[in-house]
Amino acid sequence: MHLTQRAHGSNGGSRGRPHGWTLSEASLARLFLAPSVSVLALVALFPVLYAGSLSLYLYDGRDREGFTGIANYAHAFSDERFWQAVLATFTFTGSSVTLELFIGLGFALLMAQAFRGQGPTRAVILVPWIIPTVIAAQMWYFMFNIQPGFINHSIPLVPRDFNWLGQKGWTMAALIVADVWKTAPFMALLLLAGLQVIPQELYESARTDGASAWRRFLHITLPILRPTILVALLFRTVDALRVYDLPKVMTNGTFGTETLSMLVERYVIQTVNPGIASALAVMTFATVLGVSLIFVSFLSKNLLLGSRA
Amino acid sequence: MSRFLARICFLAAEPRLIVELERMAASSQGRSINPMSIALGSRSLAKAVLKIGGTLGIFVWCLFPFVWLIDTSLKINDLALNSPNLFEGPIGLNNYLSVVQQGFIYNLRNSFVVAGTTTALCIGIGSLGAYAVARLRLRRKAFLLSGVLALSLFPPVALVPPLYEVWRSADLLNTYQGMIVPYVAFTLPITIFILTNFFAALPVELEEQALVDGASHLKAFYRIIVPLAAPGLASAAILVFVYAWNEFLLASTFAPRDLDVQTVPVAIASFTGSVQYQRPIGTITAACVIVTIPMILLVLLFQRWIVAGLTAGGVKG
Repeated sequence: MHLTQRAHGSNGGSRGRPHGWTLSEASLARLFLAPSVSVLALVALFPVLYAGSLSLYLYDGRDREGFTGIANYAHAFSDERFWQAVLATFTFTGSSVTLELFIGLGFALLMAQAFRGQGPTRAVILVPWIIPTVIAAQMWYFMFNIQPGFINHSIPLVPRDFNWLGQKGWTMAALIVADVWKTAPFMALLLLAGLQVIPQELYESARTDGASAWRRFLHITLPILRPTILVALLFRTVDALRVYDLPKVMTNGTFGTETLSMLVERYVIQTVNPGIASALAVMTFATVLGVSLIFVSFLSKNLLLGSRA
Repeated sequence: MSRFLARICFLAAEPRLIVELERMAASSQGRSINPMSIALGSRSLAKAVLKIGGTLGIFVWCLFPFVWLIDTSLKINDLALNSPNLFEGPIGLNNYLSVVQQGFIYNLRNSFVVAGTTTALCIGIGSLGAYAVARLRLRRKAFLLSGVLALSLFPPVALVPPLYEVWRSADLLNTYQGMIVPYVAFTLPITIFILTNFFAALPVELEEQALVDGASHLKAFYRIIVPLAAPGLASAAILVFVYAWNEFLLASTFAPRDLDVQTVPVAIASFTGSVQYQRPIGTITAACVIVTIPMILLVLLFQRWIVAGLTAGGVKG
């Protein structure tokens, strides 16, 4: 690092050169960072603050009626629909992330066994991840739907006229299946990367010591993989908490599948009320932030920042 | 595609099993003094079967919905809606024709413009920022990078109410810019993160040489860092493109109907059929196939870069 500085120092000092920068390295760095920082500040930070301010005003449709303090928040808290959305969001997040972790770990362990199918398997595992969620939602909607009834006809013991998407509980289950299908492979990919850095010698010596496969998994794989699992869980949990596309397209929030993000959007477009929409947005933001902080506190600071930073 | 299918078949075929068994047999012979070796032999057979069965399981998991999708999209008229049987005909391209007639080509164009512009802007802005973080003297780097990472956990829906109000008064609803600007903001954190990792991993010597020879930092960046970091830039570019191509929440809120700006996901979610309240299964599945096939090709071609980008964000982080 100080070599770079010295090199630059000699460059910056020779002001006479036609192509030399006369800016110091620090101000050059600030110049390079300025576009990123301003975009993030204008489009990410400012709107959140603005949402905070909007949430304190009373609206009738688009017309601002006046300052109202925390009335919009109080309205949300006393609204059954809000609690139903909280319940749906957490049910969805808890179930799908748990299932994804186990299935993803299974896939990753399979793929980590070094043999030559790995290239194609890794490509195939990216397919559910890369297609738009909207497509996955439409696909699973039609597969679960009574008409044409692909799932009812393909799975033994399921009655032909079972209405997955028309009753409470099962609608959420269908939603979770679709999400697990799409994201378990992604989870597998993240975990596989973690598995690949475990030195093989550890397993070799454990094997010569007579440790069973289960004990090797428990005492070598899991402890070393733990940080990777935590990071993957963090990303997946946060992603699941802000879920919108899948329930919006697959069930449109019917039968207890309206999530927090859907509720916010409803107050932006359908039942227009910028005040309540913003209050809900702020609360969603706070929820996601809170859950992330819980995860981050599990992770050591070093791990999160990376040694190079 | 055919090469890919051939590889799948090859994987499933017997020679693979035999090679695998031979490999395992050889490795267990290496420790042949072990009295367990006979038991180990039958165990490694079971292991090989499990491995190959499991791999096939992964293939089925990831690909079977697409078999259903393609099959359904080819069924004509009412058949798509009424027949759960994969092998029942007749089949034809009628659904694809109706997708084209509904102007899907415009949706594809809109998505290309929005995702392409987002990618170009994001990589342009983000690579400069990442270079500063990775290479230049800067205070509070750790703070900056963790702030960037925190932003990537941000729920997009928190922006919808305030941005909708601002866009409405600035006349940015139903425009390309109205989508591109927030997309750039949402993809910048992951871009900066991936590129910082890539830039920091490059050898410093070449760049130092250029600086000693009198090149400016900007020149060193474009002449030396950018070409060397091309794989990293490609990783980030693909991830950004895919994000912008797939994004639905902001697109459906800010540009819901107008065919001049409506993107692919919004169109796929909002196709309407002749019967009210009934989704036109044929049109939707055909449109899904049109979008899915190029994306599968993208995965096959750029698998390495995509995985590198994803795991840089997830694991190294």
